[in-house]
Amino acid sequence: MDTIVLFLSLSIVLFAIGLYGLISKRTMLRMLLAAEINFNAAILALVAFASQSPSPATGEVVALLATGIAAADVGILVSIAILMYRLKKRSDVYELKESRG
Amino acid sequence: MIPLELALTLDAGTIVFVALAAVAVVSAILVVEHKSLVYSALFLGILGMANAALFTMLGFNFIALFFVSVYIGAAVTFIIFSVSMFEEAPAVERPVRIVTLVSVVVAGVVLAGVFALYFTGGIQPSYISYRDLASLLTEKYWFALLIAALTLVTTLIEAITIARTEEAK
Repeated sequence: MDTIVLFLSLSIVLFAIGLYGLISKRTMLRMLLAAEINFNAAILALVAFASQSPSPATGEVVALLATGIAAADVGILVSIAILMYRLKKRSDVYELKESRG
Repeated sequence: MIPLELALTLDAGTIVFVALAAVAVVSAILVVEHKSLVYSALFLGILGMANAALFTMLGFNFIALFFVSVYIGAAVTFIIFSVSMFEEAPAVERPVRIVTLVSVVVAGVVLAGVFALYFTGGIQPSYISYRDLASLLTEKYWFALLIAALTLVTTLIEAITIARTEEAK
C-alpha cells in the first residue's frame, strides 16, 4: 500500500473524530478541543501532501504559519470560554444564544 | 492475531506508523469522550506528540520541533492550565443523533474522495536545510510572516482584554 494513503487515512479518521466531537458536544471547551483534533488532522494531511510536492519547503512554511496561528486562536477561545463562565457560571454553548448582539 | 506472512512483510517504518496512528486515534477518542476536561486536554497533548513523530517520519523534522515547542508547549499547556483553574460545570450532553453519525460518514467519504484524486507514488523523506527555510520565510513569504506576527500580537492583546473585562467592571 502506498505510504501517503496511510497518512491520509489517519488524517481522515482524526478529522472524523474531531467532527463528531464538534457536533455532539455542547460544552464550549470540549468543542474547542474537538476543533483542535480537526486542526491536527488538517496539518497532518498538509505535511503529507508537502512531502510529495516538488518544493516541500513551501509546505513547511505554510505548516509553520498555520501552527502559529492555531496557537493564537486557542488563546482567544479559551479567554472567551473563561469570560463566559465568569458571566454566566456555565460553559454551555446554548447559553450563548442569549448573548447575541 | 497477525498472520505470520503478514508480520514478516511489515517493515520497521510501517510498525512505527501503526503504533503512532493507534496512539493518535485513541488519544483523539479520549479527548472527545473523557469525562474530565483536564484529562481531555492532556490527551490532546499526547495526540500532538504522536503527530509530531509522524511529521518526523515524513522528513519534516523542523515542523515536528516547532509543533512540539509552540503547539504543545504553549497552546496545549495553556489549555491544561486554564481548564485546571476553570471550575467545571456539569453539562448535560445530548445523546448522539443520527445526523451526527451521517455528517461524520459523509465528511469521511468526501475527504477520502479528495485524497484519492491525489493518489501518487510513495513518500520520500524530504530533507530541507534550515538556511533555505529561513531565507524562504524572510524573502519570499515575508508578508505572510508579517501578517502572522501581527495576528499573534493582536490575539494576545484581545485575549488579555477579554479576560480582564470582568475585573474592569
